[in-house]
Amino acid sequence: MADLVLQTVVKLLIPFIQMYGIFIIINGHLSPGGGFAGGTILGSSIILYALAFHVEDALAHYSRSRAKMMESAGVVAFALIGLFGIIRGGHFLANNIWGLGETGTLLSGGIILPITLAIGIKVASTMITLFFHLLEEKKL
Amino acid sequence: MTHLPILIITTSLLVAFVLPLLGRHFPRAVEPLIIGIISANIVQVSGLLLYVNANGTFRYALGGWSPPWGIALSIDALGLFMILIIQSVSLGILIFARDDLIHEIENSLKPWYYTLFLLLLTAMTGLSVANDFFNVFVFMEISTITACAIIAIKPHPDCIEASLKYLILSTLGSGLVLFGLALVYMVTGYLSFDFIAESLPNAMNLYPLNIIVSLALLVVGMGIKAALFPLHVWLPDAHSSAVSPSSAILSGVVVKIYAVILIRLLYTVYGLDILAHIPISQILLTMATLAIFMGSLFAMGQTDIKRMLAYSSVAQIGYIFLGIALLSPSGITGGILHIANHAIMKSLLFLAAGAIIYQTGIRKIKDLVGIGYQMPLTMGIFGVGALAMVGIPGFNGFVSKFHLAVGALEAQQPVFVIVILISSLMNAVYYFPILIRAFFGPVNHQMKFDQLPLGMVISLIGFAVATIYLGLLPGGLINLAEAISQFLLSRS
Repeated sequence: MADLVLQTVVKLLIPFIQMYGIFIIINGHLSPGGGFAGGTILGSSIILYALAFHVEDALAHYSRSRAKMMESAGVVAFALIGLFGIIRGGHFLANNIWGLGETGTLLSGGIILPITLAIGIKVASTMITLFFHLLEEKKL
Repeated sequence: MTHLPILIITTSLLVAFVLPLLGRHFPRAVEPLIIGIISANIVQVSGLLLYVNANGTFRYALGGWSPPWGIALSIDALGLFMILIIQSVSLGILIFARDDLIHEIENSLKPWYYTLFLLLLTAMTGLSVANDFFNVFVFMEISTITACAIIAIKPHPDCIEASLKYLILSTLGSGLVLFGLALVYMVTGYLSFDFIAESLPNAMNLYPLNIIVSLALLVVGMGIKAALFPLHVWLPDAHSSAVSPSSAILSGVVVKIYAVILIRLLYTVYGLDILAHIPISQILLTMATLAIFMGSLFAMGQTDIKRMLAYSSVAQIGYIFLGIALLSPSGITGGILHIANHAIMKSLLFLAAGAIIYQTGIRKIKDLVGIGYQMPLTMGIFGVGALAMVGIPGFNGFVSKFHLAVGALEAQQPVFVIVILISSLMNAVYYFPILIRAFFGPVNHQMKFDQLPLGMVISLIGFAVATIYLGLLPGGLINLAEAISQFLLSRS
């Protein structure tokens, strides 16, 4: 199924969807949204690509093993950021690694920004992995 | 020292997600790493137990935010005791799993199996120390989903069916718990157990219906997840079809963690005063008695050895709830002891059954004739587990049943002593025929020794030694269980 109109529109849309996803993620500490919402939007862009083009094309862009790797990396990053809080002398997930910055600016909120980033990566990869898993029907 | 509880949870979580990455490049490092991390956890939790014994319980606030705004973990004897059981039993199971998994699931799935296993352990560890409804709910979901996944990982239609059934009923249980906690949140405005416990007596005067309904929903929700008798329908399928290490962890530990949460809720959050408003103790006692009898009756009728063990778990869950619901110090001690003892002996029995299936492929009980001559060690160890299940003095099952009986007398309900006695005889009815078939049947085999990999033998012997050790020298465990029961009764 190669529909020129659909494929062209999807090609045009995907950069905006991804930009919006990233915007939602990195503004997680300032506005509604955050890692979960942004990650879902980010993941849906690849799903859209897979639906409009072939799944093989989507896999060529974002392979299964890479999706699984990013999934693990997201959680590992989250846990490591949390553990840094202990190393710096506070409790787990203590917001003491660097300064909090000026309230309302993008680079503020201390560890919240990297944590939402990690969650965003994890959620986006999970969305894609789930989609690929639903596609492959395994015979028992 | 004070950071250890969160370190146990987060390092497990970290390693769980490092395992699949490691599995791609260094598959040989996966098993040593997971066994190493669990051993480290055991050391940490033992240290914490000593610390709590000396300095008393404490709260660990995540991120330094104190409740009711932040999340706090409750580091007390009950939670640490449960973590110690979870981690030590799974250490034994994982040593067994190393060799057993090879012919049960695909090799490429093995790192993922360990990931799921470790996530399940992390979730249960979190549940043991969680001190607010939000974390209880989240960890409960993690443990439900990972428990379903370690059943479904074996590519067999029965496993998929069983795990789907488990998933649906568990989700129903989670839904009921969610309703219950929403009702509590509605009248108290807190999620943290400490604050709820403080404001409940006042709220009870204003909104008694909310609190009683929430209690009912929580008991039924946890009852589904803990497979208390009429709500047990998912358990036999799930526990019998899974790979043996999964069966052992599910039957040995996972169903009990919900009993532990229920203990925490009933005694430290609601307290005995509120429990007195509705006959929750009588309801739980009736359900427990039914579970004890019906589980044993169903077990007698089974032809598949793992299915029989699964139904036996239904009966044993009944003992634990009997102890919880007796509301007497020795009853609680007995229930807590049975959580530990049953975890050890049921894991032992499931792993021994797994070893029989590994070597001979036999699952039917009637085909086990003369198996004692082919696998004397495995069947001997199975015998240890069976004797402990029946409650023969000298094995750990006796210790907990004895405390339960004393607890029934303390609560002035001697009828439950008779229940315990009759059910012990019923246990003998379905465990002893297996041993008789195995050792006293017609001999048509040459006597030979088990052909099992070293890891399986070590794990089986380890569990057998623990069963006998805790039967002969149960002092340390009893002291711990008594400390927990004092802690619970002092809070309510």
